[in-house]
Amino acid sequence: MAAAPELLPYKQIREDLFRPLSGVSRRYVLATCLAFIVGAAGLAAWVYQLRRGMGVTGLQRPVFWGFYIVDFVFWIGISHAGTLISAILRLTDAAWRKPVTRAAEAITVFALMIGAMFPVIHLGRAWLFYWLLPYPNSRLLWPNFRSPLLWDLTAIVTYLTGSVIYLYLPLIPDMAQLAEHNTPWRRKLYRALALGWTGSDREWHALERAMKLMACIILAVAISVHTVVAWDFAMSIAPMWHSTIFGPYFVTGAIFSGIAALLVALTALRKVLHLESYLKWHHFNNLAKLLLLMSLLWLYFTLAENLTVWYGNEPREMAVFGARTRAQYAPYFWTMVALNFVIPFVLLGIRRLRTIATATIAAVCVLAGMWLERFVIVVPTLANPRLAAASRGYAPTWVEIAITAATFAAMAMLYMIFSKLFPIIAVWEFKPHPEEDED
Amino acid sequence: MYLIGEFREKKAVAEAIRALRAGGVTPAEMDLFSEEPIKLPRGVLDRPSRMSLASVLGAIAFGSLATAFIYWVQHNYRLVTGGMPIFSFWATGVITFEMTMLGAIAATFAWFLWESGLVRKRDRGAPVPEADPGSIRLRVRCRVDDAPQAIESMRRAGAVEIERRNHD
Amino acid sequence: MEHRWGMAIDLDRCTGCEACVVACHAENNLPVSSPEQAGKGRTDHWIRIDRYYEGEFPDVKVKYMPVLCQHCDDAPCEPVCPVYATYHNGEGLNVQVYNRCVGTFYCANNCPYTVRYFNWFAPEWPEPLHLQHNPDVSVRVAGVMEKCTFCIHRIKRSKQDAARDGRALADGDVQPACVQSCPAEAMVFGDLNDPQSKVSRAAGSGRATRLLEELGTKPKVFYLQKVK
Repeated sequence: MAAAPELLPYKQIREDLFRPLSGVSRRYVLATCLAFIVGAAGLAAWVYQLRRGMGVTGLQRPVFWGFYIVDFVFWIGISHAGTLISAILRLTDAAWRKPVTRAAEAITVFALMIGAMFPVIHLGRAWLFYWLLPYPNSRLLWPNFRSPLLWDLTAIVTYLTGSVIYLYLPLIPDMAQLAEHNTPWRRKLYRALALGWTGSDREWHALERAMKLMACIILAVAISVHTVVAWDFAMSIAPMWHSTIFGPYFVTGAIFSGIAALLVALTALRKVLHLESYLKWHHFNNLAKLLLLMSLLWLYFTLAENLTVWYGNEPREMAVFGARTRAQYAPYFWTMVALNFVIPFVLLGIRRLRTIATATIAAVCVLAGMWLERFVIVVPTLANPRLAAASRGYAPTWVEIAITAATFAAMAMLYMIFSKLFPIIAVWEFKPHPEEDED
Repeated sequence: MYLIGEFREKKAVAEAIRALRAGGVTPAEMDLFSEEPIKLPRGVLDRPSRMSLASVLGAIAFGSLATAFIYWVQHNYRLVTGGMPIFSFWATGVITFEMTMLGAIAATFAWFLWESGLVRKRDRGAPVPEADPGSIRLRVRCRVDDAPQAIESMRRAGAVEIERRNHD
Repeated sequence: MEHRWGMAIDLDRCTGCEACVVACHAENNLPVSSPEQAGKGRTDHWIRIDRYYEGEFPDVKVKYMPVLCQHCDDAPCEPVCPVYATYHNGEGLNVQVYNRCVGTFYCANNCPYTVRYFNWFAPEWPEPLHLQHNPDVSVRVAGVMEKCTFCIHRIKRSKQDAARDGRALADGDVQPACVQSCPAEAMVFGDLNDPQSKVSRAAGSGRATRLLEELGTKPKVFYLQKVK
């Protein structure tokens, strides 16, 4: 076995992990520019939609929610990568978490920022989005706090605040170190972010205590956030949305897609930043096992959700069920089952097949599958309302596709910029702790 | 004046702190500097913390304020929607929870800034030793008369180097 | 509550002529969709005629059902709106405040009757229809939700007229455009608080049912049909 990362000399760890921050390769510039162009195209599509009206989307009565809401749920789901996984691993003191947590927490922050844009993008009058914020209008009328959308707003604000702090806290010691030797503007940035960190024991004590508390809080918040997202649907009385199982079902799906996103990000980081001696097989193996576990849990929920509807045989629910599994949305449904269960189960369940490469392939499949899952949940229900005479299908337009593509590009771009500015692995956490065993 | 002793081992630091405390130096006058968290045995240099309490209080304050606020808002401008009561804990529960959590987050972060001394430098002029990888530095604030005794305690515990510094 | 407005529609009388649809368009400044948009399902009819077919061709029976906002007492669309653009007013009407709407679509998704309509683009009228707008009804901008109001402007006008003449509002004083234009006289509008009004008597008759009543929305539109 090669040297475990914990035994690498500290100086080398520091060099290895700080090296990616300096210097910009041509491929990096190219990738960032590409992401920027795709993102800008999406922005242009949104401006077009703002100027012309929501009619440029494929939405129509009765399918009033489409790609944008699917994207919203998808990205909020991805955001569970981080904080939730890193909080669980922190609380259970899993030693293998160390090189994984910051990469995961960064995913959370960016996915949340992107996800939170979608409720605005899909507004009929997006320029008035601030009317949803809790402030009174000229007649002293405040927003309607009974609306699940207000619940969403508070949940996302809380989660974003919490996960930014959760990402920031363990960055502080690294910032202080980075501020020591660096180019002038970076030194200024890092020094400002380090808040005058000196490495005193009071600071370390406070940091460790704060991280423990934050891990507990963020765990509760993360679960509540996706539950509230699920309740956007479950609070309505639409067939197959009005389901008590939606809260835990969505949380499961969110963690599932979050782990997949983390796996993809780690593979990319390992390859691009040459972190082979830090992100090792056992990290991927552990995450792959977690992914497999979540895949089975997801299957269980999907089964519980659909079997009860089929057996209950209530006509309006069956119309949605039929559209999902037999009629126009059946290809999406069964592709989803293949991507979320069959492929990961084969690739990760058979030990001989489980490698870093196959785990990444499975993760990509899960990401696509979980996007489809949200589509299969959102659209067929709306397309089959209670009055059958009002039924209609839905097909997205280029505007929706461009904006969706742009968010993936934005995620890549934000992540690339982040990994250039901050060490993607927490350096101080990674240090050799030879005396730790004595206590 | 300040004494800064450099140590290589955690045990030596613990020894030195014990000796200094026996000599009358309080924990508030001592600071450890290192590049990584140093875990000392209980009772050596404890830093009692009220962060959990602050977090709980912040949570209760935010949660109850938010709920009371929604109660006031909805009674202030009575609009009926969907036959629901003007105010009900069912419809407000999620916001109560989220604001409770936001309170906990805000209080924890604020308390972290306060307790760590990042926003509240105890003595601004105190010299801050450069912490090299692997070394642990102990800074002691003492009167000039007590310095020789403190230096002796640290040296006996295994300090590699001891430096006398004044206020910057 | 002084009034509680409701409607009764006699399905045995309805011929599916869509006069009510046309009247509603003219009365409420409903935009006219282009053929392409209409093909996509982006039509704007506050009242629509749903058709249900029974039997196999050529032995088909068509049933018509005018569907408009049911002005539910416990309307599912209301609590989900984050900005109070839709709420319940003092006369039991489910009102829509266009200027407050930001277009979250949530109300429309939560309406089991699918009677909420969205302004996908800025409204347009082919000439010369743009010259015949009703001054009592606002024209809605792009990006807001709208729906049947039970011709609330007519209710207000009738109340003002009655107050000016110093008399109480009589049954039949208020007639929404659809009711007024129905050639088969299949629709009745009135005050459900007045037990003697035509609509109250229709609602109390054995033929009255309400649409999707089992959802507990307590709709105020009553459908009359022969119970087999």
